[in-house]
Amino acid sequence: MHPGASMAGSKMKFKFSLSYVDTLFFIIFLGIFIISLAGGVMVKDKSYLSEKSRIKSLTADDLKKLIPENISGWKAIPEDQVFNQETIFNYIDGAGEVYRSYNFQLLLARRFQQPEKPDLVVDLFDMGTSYDAFGVFTHDREGEKVDVGQMAVYKGGLLSFWKDRFFVSVYAEDETPKTREAVLALGRQIDSSINREGKLPDLLALLPSAGLDHDTISYFHTHHILNYHFYVSEENILELGSETEAVLARYKTSGRQPIYLLIVRYPDEGKALYAWNIFCKNYMPEARIPGEIRVEDGSWTMAKQRGRLLTVVFQSCPDKEARSLGEKILFKRIEK
Amino acid sequence: MKKRAITRRDFLKKGAGLPLACAFIPGVFEGKSQQQVQQTPKVRVVLIRNKDILDDKGKPRYEVIEKMMGEGLCELFGTSNPQEAWRQMIKADDVVGIKTNVWNYLPTPKELEDYLKKRVMECGVPEENIAIADRGVLSHPVFQKATALINARPARTHHWSGMGSCIKNYIQFVPRPYEWHGDSCADLAKIWFLPEVKGKTRLNILVMLTPLFHGIGPHHFSKQYTWPYCGLILSQDPVAADATGLRILQEKRKEYFGEERPLQPVPHHIFLADTRHHLGVSSPARIELIKLGWQEGILI
Repeated sequence: MHPGASMAGSKMKFKFSLSYVDTLFFIIFLGIFIISLAGGVMVKDKSYLSEKSRIKSLTADDLKKLIPENISGWKAIPEDQVFNQETIFNYIDGAGEVYRSYNFQLLLARRFQQPEKPDLVVDLFDMGTSYDAFGVFTHDREGEKVDVGQMAVYKGGLLSFWKDRFFVSVYAEDETPKTREAVLALGRQIDSSINREGKLPDLLALLPSAGLDHDTISYFHTHHILNYHFYVSEENILELGSETEAVLARYKTSGRQPIYLLIVRYPDEGKALYAWNIFCKNYMPEARIPGEIRVEDGSWTMAKQRGRLLTVVFQSCPDKEARSLGEKILFKRIEK
Repeated sequence: MKKRAITRRDFLKKGAGLPLACAFIPGVFEGKSQQQVQQTPKVRVVLIRNKDILDDKGKPRYEVIEKMMGEGLCELFGTSNPQEAWRQMIKADDVVGIKTNVWNYLPTPKELEDYLKKRVMECGVPEENIAIADRGVLSHPVFQKATALINARPARTHHWSGMGSCIKNYIQFVPRPYEWHGDSCADLAKIWFLPEVKGKTRLNILVMLTPLFHGIGPHHFSKQYTWPYCGLILSQDPVAADATGLRILQEKRKEYFGEERPLQPVPHHIFLADTRHHLGVSSPARIELIKLGWQEGILI
């Protein structure tokens, strides 16, 4: 019993009489405990769903502050346009579906004009999380790499980059040396007004580095996007959806074609196992060893599930490479 | 999922090791033999080009459009003059909807719209029974009672379906277009069997004046990836028109990028319109392609 504790009547009562040093130790202990607890939660669960649950909504005014009103002689026209998940199709034909599949929150479009010069257009997407900002950037990585934001490419008058929870597109309606300069300058100004950087999806850490073609990494949620990068099936045989996160990457090999590695993380182990079953049933119904099949072009496809993860290696030839890649993933786990 | 899904492996079986190649191999989907394909009656497609169609600002010249359309329609319908071709398509008591495309980067040219309206009126159709529209056709009073449709739009790559062309242009005839985006818009041809549309289309015009052969960014457009092809594709079969336009876009991509670079995603809705929905024909072996006018850089 603590020396300060005393008894009164039949009931046990504790009366603390802490010294200054005791109080200090207690506060420090409590602080460490709280930080450990909070830190533990954050370290343990870096998944997309956890990130998504912490989204704080931004307003159009928040986005407006990130874009300048003048750049290299171009001036913003007075009316910005703002679109949400429902109205995006009024602005973007076709590709609106891509941004919706990445859970985009808000889009602010600002047009810049200068007499006798092509218009410049900024589309600033608030994607809610840095994971989705990165993901939507990986949807189209073609172009010359430039130093803007956390990753950027420039091609045909278009600069695309991501930073923090934002994906940004700056576009000149006609490309000239002047518009190229202005587009890059505009991008850099927006970059500098976004104060912090965002985290990459932790799923990326599972990709083995040997042979990895970094420029082919794509991060996504839905099977439509998977099919865009690598056609698997018209049906959703991997049970992908808004709650799953997936990373696809290409590997250089000694074979005639590159290997594709797909890693999917499901909300729970049961869903991962179910998806593995559905995939095997549809993609390799005749497989002798469950999850492994030599397909029609002579290459191998291998699918393994462990915990919440499902890993599929496509186009591996010979099968040793598939096994090697799959096993590297499955045993380099960051979680059960 | 009761039936086994179609997967990449099904394509590998047909494509003999070239992924998705079957999408470009005639007759591969329907499993028809070469002999069967050759015996099937051919569908006529006219490709007409004129290098003077665009002025120095890239704007189409009305008089050249008129000339190209006239020559093209005579060839398509086997008539000696365009008026006769128009009379085969449109009767005076028709209510005519001219379905265009308003996409701001590459809309249906105003000069073509004017030409079409003028010719329809010459068939005796009163102006109040003619409408030109894209979005909102479902609630448009003329389109609601239309007995004839003319489908005219530019060819371009499309982010979600691979290619935006004649078949896809009817997506505005459904209340929720995004519901048709599944599997790269695979079943767009089904729209053509809805009562608003079925059997009404008299002419498809795939505008190839400055087609977009590659798309980038949120808006899937850069002027850098268009070129003055200066052509029009005419057909009564939207699938044949689209399949022909697609071959030209593919060739342009090959020329520009210096390598085979298939459209991404593969515009399989064009082939499925043939093999799954039987809306028209996609195989070059079943298309009688008539090439008129400027031949340089024709790519097909």
